[in-house]
Amino acid sequence: MRFAAYLKSVFENLVGRTRADRELEEELSQHLRARAEELRGSGLNAKEAERRARIEFGSQEKFKEECRKERGGFWLETFWGDVRFGLRMLRKNPGFTAVAVLTLALGIGANTAIFTSINGLMFRTLPIKDPGQFVELLHQYPGEPAYNGFSWDAYQVMRHGDRVFSDLFIGSTMNFGTVRGDNLQPQTVFVGSVGGNFFHLLGVRTAAGRLIGPEDVHAGYHDPVAVVSWSFWKTRFNLDPGIIGKKLVVNDDPPLTIIGVAQRGFYGLSDEQPQDVWWPTSLGPSQGWGSVGLLARLKPGVSIKQARAEMSALFQEAVGQDTSPFMRTMKLRIEPAGNGVTTPLSQMLSTPLTILMATVGLLLLLTCANLAGLLLARGASRQHEMAVRACLGAARARLLRQTLTESLLLSLAGCAVGIFFAYFAAHALVRVFASGRFIMDAPMHFEALTTPDAHVVLFTGAIVLLTGLLCGAVPAMRASNLAPGSALQPGTRIGETKRQRLFGKGLVALQVALSLALVSSAGLFVGYLSHLRNSNLGFKRNHLLLVTLDFAQSGYTAEKLSRLSQELVMRLDAIPGVNSATFSDMSPMEGSGASGFAFARDHPEKRTQTSINYVAPDYFKTYGTPFLAGRDFSAGDQASAPVAIINETAARNCFGNENPIGRHITLSHITLTEGERTYEVIGLVGDAKYNDLQQSAPPTVYADLLQQGFVGSQLAIRTRIDPDGVADAIRQTEGAVLKTVPIVRIMTMNEQIDSSIVPERLIAILSTGFGVLGALLAAIGLYGLLAHTVARRTHEIGVRMALGAAGTDVMRMVLRDAVWMVCAGFAAGAPLAFWGKRIAASLIPDLPVADSRPIVVAAGIMIAIGLLAAYLPARRAMRVDPMVALRYE
Amino acid sequence: MGEQAQLLPGTLDLLILKAVSLGPRHGYGVLLRIEQISGKALLVEQGALYPALFRLVRQGLLKASWGTSENNRRAKFYELTAAGKKRLKQEEADWKRLVAAMTSVLGAEPEEA
Repeated sequence: MRFAAYLKSVFENLVGRTRADRELEEELSQHLRARAEELRGSGLNAKEAERRARIEFGSQEKFKEECRKERGGFWLETFWGDVRFGLRMLRKNPGFTAVAVLTLALGIGANTAIFTSINGLMFRTLPIKDPGQFVELLHQYPGEPAYNGFSWDAYQVMRHGDRVFSDLFIGSTMNFGTVRGDNLQPQTVFVGSVGGNFFHLLGVRTAAGRLIGPEDVHAGYHDPVAVVSWSFWKTRFNLDPGIIGKKLVVNDDPPLTIIGVAQRGFYGLSDEQPQDVWWPTSLGPSQGWGSVGLLARLKPGVSIKQARAEMSALFQEAVGQDTSPFMRTMKLRIEPAGNGVTTPLSQMLSTPLTILMATVGLLLLLTCANLAGLLLARGASRQHEMAVRACLGAARARLLRQTLTESLLLSLAGCAVGIFFAYFAAHALVRVFASGRFIMDAPMHFEALTTPDAHVVLFTGAIVLLTGLLCGAVPAMRASNLAPGSALQPGTRIGETKRQRLFGKGLVALQVALSLALVSSAGLFVGYLSHLRNSNLGFKRNHLLLVTLDFAQSGYTAEKLSRLSQELVMRLDAIPGVNSATFSDMSPMEGSGASGFAFARDHPEKRTQTSINYVAPDYFKTYGTPFLAGRDFSAGDQASAPVAIINETAARNCFGNENPIGRHITLSHITLTEGERTYEVIGLVGDAKYNDLQQSAPPTVYADLLQQGFVGSQLAIRTRIDPDGVADAIRQTEGAVLKTVPIVRIMTMNEQIDSSIVPERLIAILSTGFGVLGALLAAIGLYGLLAHTVARRTHEIGVRMALGAAGTDVMRMVLRDAVWMVCAGFAAGAPLAFWGKRIAASLIPDLPVADSRPIVVAAGIMIAIGLLAAYLPARRAMRVDPMVALRYE
Repeated sequence: MGEQAQLLPGTLDLLILKAVSLGPRHGYGVLLRIEQISGKALLVEQGALYPALFRLVRQGLLKASWGTSENNRRAKFYELTAAGKKRLKQEEADWKRLVAAMTSVLGAEPEEA
């Protein structure tokens, strides 16, 4: 009621302000007239009565003003006045406004863009019941990404011993596949097989039909059923209720019968990989490692820490039964999953985005310091104006509010332009994300990473307010703290106190410090990237083209495929510009591959973990990996006993310093084939990196692809000319030989390498950009302050020169100031830079932190641009004409 | 003017509420009413009346509407709202308590030594 009255009063005030003023006028004159009439009644003449009435009333204007203040929304009225005045001031100084708005736009835009991505990736709550209690279980080998996959037995051990979860249940696999059906265009979507309690325990409701329950899991493959997402139902079936009972085919699996549609808005457990089709899992006892994905709900009151401690013990118990020492290095992880489960994308991006968020945070701080400096300088030139306002009765609080309104206006304008920047930046970021391996072929949905939601709006709003206040606080306090008397005296130059001057210099030093940290961390990341790029790969990366084939639906037998692939390689060899061609199971830097344990035959106690690849003849010639001893595979090997080629590290680990050629090597626990197999070593090759650039070349055993009866889906072509020049010829030849085998993608080795270091590239490129920006801002800040100082000291400089100071003395005086500020910045920035380095090193394991070059180079850069920025004001100071300067004023 | 008392700070609002509670009044009418019922003992600065009236309207204690005055002129009339009535009752009670307390304090006799 009272609030309603207030609102009404605000509304009347704002909408009918002129009317309200007129009514106030009328009310007061009514009063005066009534009073005058009464006075006349007591015998005064009309004129005198009116006069007396007015005197008795007091100052009409004063009371009118007080009435206005008492009206609701008066603050809004003055705020609106402040805004209009502020806008006028900004329009009057277009240069200043443009620089300030652009600076802020870069700071706010960069923060908004990075935060939008982080928010979309990590902070979006899943549309499920009690997301806060929801966790996922992952296993992790040292130095590898974590993966949600366990064995059936481990699941049983953990389930029976578990005291921390209210439910521990089988989740959903995350695959993508081509979905076909009657009258349906084939489409590649994310799909998954789910445990019987998946929907029930997540609290997913039904939009039509029924959802998968425990009874469906036992039905096995006899009559497999499927549930589709609401959006699939909408886009593919137009919400047709007759969808129940229809058949769907995913890839080449048996047809699934649709039994229901999940509730609207449910997309599975990751919004970058929204699932459209689910079917019951066929998991059961005897299921090995990696296939059982587990989710859980914490019991109320149980912390995730407790759960980790309890479950790790159970997990060790479950894994301890395994014979393989490799398995025992595995650790259990339990992570909150209410904002989505761990995906390749989130694993790839969480570290770089965290680092970049910290970087843009520093950049924003720098932006604030920069703008505060600009505003201070401008405030100094507006002292006269502020003094006049104070003399006319403006309260301190009003002046403070007026100046703060102006800086908030600036940051709002910066925000508007910044959002525009952020929109493009977020989309550009996503394009880089999408080029990452494991991600580029999947039908990823990146909308969440570019669409702001309430979190983003709040975040941006908060930083706008924060920057406005940070930039404006000190200039506003200074403007309102003025002693108007002295400021208005003619002929006085308004000086700054020593403390005020120190504050301005401190701001510049702060900018130097922050940009030192930004530039040196950029140097660190760039150094790391170039270290990765220039690391010795063990093969030649240029002029190498990779073609990935999809054999899944070829319809050919394995023998025919093998024969056709050999024919293909021969015909590829004949293309002009091609040096040699080969194929293999995996290509280096693809990011995955078989692995197992290798040992010299009859010496299983000295086994070494090794990577395994299946390669065709000419593999080493094509990749450019040198033979150190022995020979390559040849067509003749197919009939003989199994042969292998090993790399130097594998040879050293298994055979020590002895010559491995002719010796026998045994592989066990191989990813692709179970059981042990022994090979005669026929060749020794140089070490080559395999999975990634970060790790050193692993011990590797190469087996003969043709001898093992496998087909290789990775073609590699070494060219003499630009690899793109032969791509068309390769496409044609492939189409002619392998008619039913589609090409998934063609890319150069360099592109494949780049796709394996997306996070590192992202950090290096963006931190460089931010470093440059930071240095530029610091230079502008330094220049601004010195230019302002020189202008203010013109008179003093004139006196000095008149008394005999030379131009160079004056110049040295200004430059000395600059050098001091830069050095103070170093003193503050060096610890910051070292601290940042430590944090970065904790996030990126093999960052070259011992290298002190980045910080030295950064310091050099800062000195150089500092002097450059100081040069112009210094020259201006040097050219001051004493006669002109002294006559002035 | 010697026998006129200055208003204590904060009492103007209470006076206005009381004056208006006796029937809707326009601004000048409120002033007259206060003078009349106080037997001209209380002096209200004329101009200060209006900011107070505006404040009470904003607080939702008074309601203002335009009507016709006794001599047929357009005038703004103030009346109490429900919240205003409640506030008046409470302030009256508070005031009485204060006066009683002040009176007993001021009426205290020096203790015999």
